[in-house]
Amino acid sequence: MLLLQPENLLIQKTFSKALSEDYIPATLDRVITDFDFTAYHISTPSDKTGILLSVGIKCWADLIAHGTLELLESIYSKYSSFLQILSDGNAEPGYNYGLYLELGKVDLQNGEEIATLISDLSLLKRNCFAAPFLEAFGRYEVLAQEEPVDPNNIYGEDAPNNSKEPVIALGYRDNESIFIKPSNDRVTVIFSTIFNDETDKVFSKVFLQEFSDARKRSIQKAPQVINSHHDIPLEIQGLEKENSDNKKTYITFVLFPRHLSTDEVKWNSITQIETFRSYFHYHIKIVKCYLHQRMRFRVQSFTKILNRARRDVTEEELRSERKTASGRRFEQRT
Amino acid sequence: MASINTPAVVMDNGTGMTKLGFAGNDAPSWVFPTAIATRASGSSAKPSAPAKPSFLNTPNVAGSSGSTGGSFGTSPSPALSSIKRDMADLDFYIGDEALEAAKGPGYSLHYPVRHGQIDNWDQMERFWETSIFKYLKCEPEDHYFLLTEPPLNPPENRENTAEIMFESFNCAGLYIAVQAVLALAASWTSSKVTDRTLTGTVIDSGDGVTHVIPVAEGYVIGSAIKNIPLAGRDITSFIQTMLRERGEADSSLKTAEEIKQKFCYVCPDIVKEFAKYDNNSEMFAKYIIDTVSGRKITVDVGYERFLAPEIFFNPEIASSDFLTPLPEIVDGVIQASPIDVRKNLYKNIVLSGGSTMFKDFGRRLQRDLKGIVNERVSRSERLSGAKSSGVQVQVISHKRQKNAVWFGGSLLAQTSEFKSYCHTKQDYEEYGPNIVRNFSLFNVPR
Amino acid sequence: MSQSLKPYLTAVRHSLNAALCLENFSSQIVERHNYPEIENKKTTEVLLNPMMISRNEKERVLIEPSINSVRVSIKIKQSDEIESILVDKFTRFLNKRAETFLILRRVPIEGYDISFLITNFHNEDMLKNKLVDFIIEFMEDVDKEISEMKLFLNARARFVAEAYLSTFD
Repeated sequence: MLLLQPENLLIQKTFSKALSEDYIPATLDRVITDFDFTAYHISTPSDKTGILLSVGIKCWADLIAHGTLELLESIYSKYSSFLQILSDGNAEPGYNYGLYLELGKVDLQNGEEIATLISDLSLLKRNCFAAPFLEAFGRYEVLAQEEPVDPNNIYGEDAPNNSKEPVIALGYRDNESIFIKPSNDRVTVIFSTIFNDETDKVFSKVFLQEFSDARKRSIQKAPQVINSHHDIPLEIQGLEKENSDNKKTYITFVLFPRHLSTDEVKWNSITQIETFRSYFHYHIKIVKCYLHQRMRFRVQSFTKILNRARRDVTEEELRSERKTASGRRFEQRT
Repeated sequence: MASINTPAVVMDNGTGMTKLGFAGNDAPSWVFPTAIATRASGSSAKPSAPAKPSFLNTPNVAGSSGSTGGSFGTSPSPALSSIKRDMADLDFYIGDEALEAAKGPGYSLHYPVRHGQIDNWDQMERFWETSIFKYLKCEPEDHYFLLTEPPLNPPENRENTAEIMFESFNCAGLYIAVQAVLALAASWTSSKVTDRTLTGTVIDSGDGVTHVIPVAEGYVIGSAIKNIPLAGRDITSFIQTMLRERGEADSSLKTAEEIKQKFCYVCPDIVKEFAKYDNNSEMFAKYIIDTVSGRKITVDVGYERFLAPEIFFNPEIASSDFLTPLPEIVDGVIQASPIDVRKNLYKNIVLSGGSTMFKDFGRRLQRDLKGIVNERVSRSERLSGAKSSGVQVQVISHKRQKNAVWFGGSLLAQTSEFKSYCHTKQDYEEYGPNIVRNFSLFNVPR
Repeated sequence: MSQSLKPYLTAVRHSLNAALCLENFSSQIVERHNYPEIENKKTTEVLLNPMMISRNEKERVLIEPSINSVRVSIKIKQSDEIESILVDKFTRFLNKRAETFLILRRVPIEGYDISFLITNFHNEDMLKNKLVDFIIEFMEDVDKEISEMKLFLNARARFVAEAYLSTFD
């Protein structure tokens, strides 16, 4: 598996089963997780044909400040005849948001519609995280209209009044955040992430270097990646006070207009950006797995060489080794 | 640390099936074969890349003593160089997808767990990697893990497991539990269990082999464990043979498996059961298969309904080299255990695994075992003249039998104390891999 | 293979050949005990002069001979942070499996990455020249392995980065 899938397979499995023709309603009570401290709870609170999918996200407060509720509403309200949205106070205690699906009322006719519903449900986490990005993208469009990009600005310098634009911050994990800053010709997304393990830290440097080089080399269409290791990027210096012990690593993605052109492109950009941290950490772990594999192979080949050094003890030698207590050897009389 | 609030991950990697899920759930989220399909290296006839045995067989490329080990640079071994070039170590599937992929060309199927123990660490590491990131979708740094191991697992295997879990995945904490102990914990859900002890006899019957494991106070009595070479697979093939002998329209392994799961039960007495069938034709069932072409095939199900599970109690009907019935084995195991725990072992016989799911399996076992025990008690009463207080024999069946080990793990891992029993990554880094040789036992909540 | 490697390895080979002249020697301090003398260093008269063979400031071998045991410690080349973390990982991996290596010392002596302890008993059931071969091969292969791992890391990082960024099209 090279790329991480944005959808949650367990939600997908549960609902495809529930929405299949030969489903026998059963009591469900399951906890499911996703990356970045996202927790789901699938349950059947009252009767077996009503499935409640609740989601809890660590940075929920940050998300709803940037229009997540409205976005989710717009995505899920088209199913309103059988899918009830539970937000704010109505959500299950301990969770932030809920979707209550009544199987009996599902009136989707063809398999395609059902598949869309399932995929919409399994992408719940991505949808939650999408709102702040969409807000920033919208802001960019406004800014771009107000102050069109100066064609003479060949060095791509930031226009001076852009720095006043507020930065959206999402504390998606403990001490790790996503910052999004729109301006008139780009949207900047900055991740801060922490590597606790010494090995990971070193490996992450190699990876980051390649991330920032990759664009120069071959993939010109990609967003620009700037890694500033432990220095706090300029854009967020007002928000991040200090980088204590240099633990945090900052990665900046610059999304250019080409990544924000159509809705489809926007959503693709969001989906990819949102999984970046998991993808990054995942591949560092895979590298370690592979190195283990190599080392195991090495250990075997070394043992093989060492075993070759062993003397083959022949029967002859063994006989001459056998001695009586007083040190005499057995001799065969012929 | 935020990992305090995330549910622990419970992984039970069995020989046949892997059970994955989160603590607190009543059933594993994923159950799939412990299989991995890896890319067979290219067009050349070389053995598949990461399979360990093939490393061993790989002829030393440069035979002279000068550079044999250094076969890397000059004449690369087929295995590793191919990984380096393409991304073959990312190109693999696990579980059901593996079975699917192995049908096509280019992939070969491997089972990294053999006889309950991990046999191929390279494959297992990748199996876990995909289990965690693709199927469970969790960041291992945020979760505690509970893994299971078979009884008598060598401590080196534990260390290797810990090395992978901590060094590759940086998981927050790790607990490795013995499967039999978890099966005991799972039985606490049964209404028959009054005191929650970790003492009892576990009969664990999966697909490949049946174990009878005595456990005292959470410790496995290793010297008394017995294995029976009869389990689910044997029952299935027994049914299959019967279907074939009768010349049924369909006698595939899958059909036999379905019949086993849907129709089989354990009877109290075979002779009477035969008579019952002969007098009442309603006992014969029909199994209907829908073929792909839409045709329906009907398979008659006869005596195999009760004969198949009977091989546990009368092994001679299926096997010629193993002839001891299960109740006798259980009795022997308990008799081989220390005398002061025997009474408790008889009192708490716990079933676990799919092949103990037959209706009335527990009841029959309890009756037969009681017979053996009572006979011994009365003999000793006769010889000694003293009155015995009697031995209570109780076999416990419960609803969670099928995934008992996983469920027991889920039960224990959701307790608030669980995380204090785990070894954390900090512990591992401070003391090294050998800390996992010891895990403190769960305090039994009373 | 660079210019200096061959003479370096030759020097190590000859020194080892000379050092591996071992005989059984019972402890003079504790009766009925038989220590590798190089390890407890209590009987100074049976210890020989240690020798260090350096290829450069980063790579060296220390051979400490004694009457019944020889300790060989190797400092592996580490030119940057990545290499040193890989060396650390690799040696830790090997040390964990010291059981299968017979002559591997579980803990390297200070200032070195990996140590071997060869006693007269090893020398008795293994052929001396093959043992020397093993050490030499080990030194060669470790360097190769570390640089291969480093290459792999870079290649993989590049691949991963490109794969990720190309999804933005």
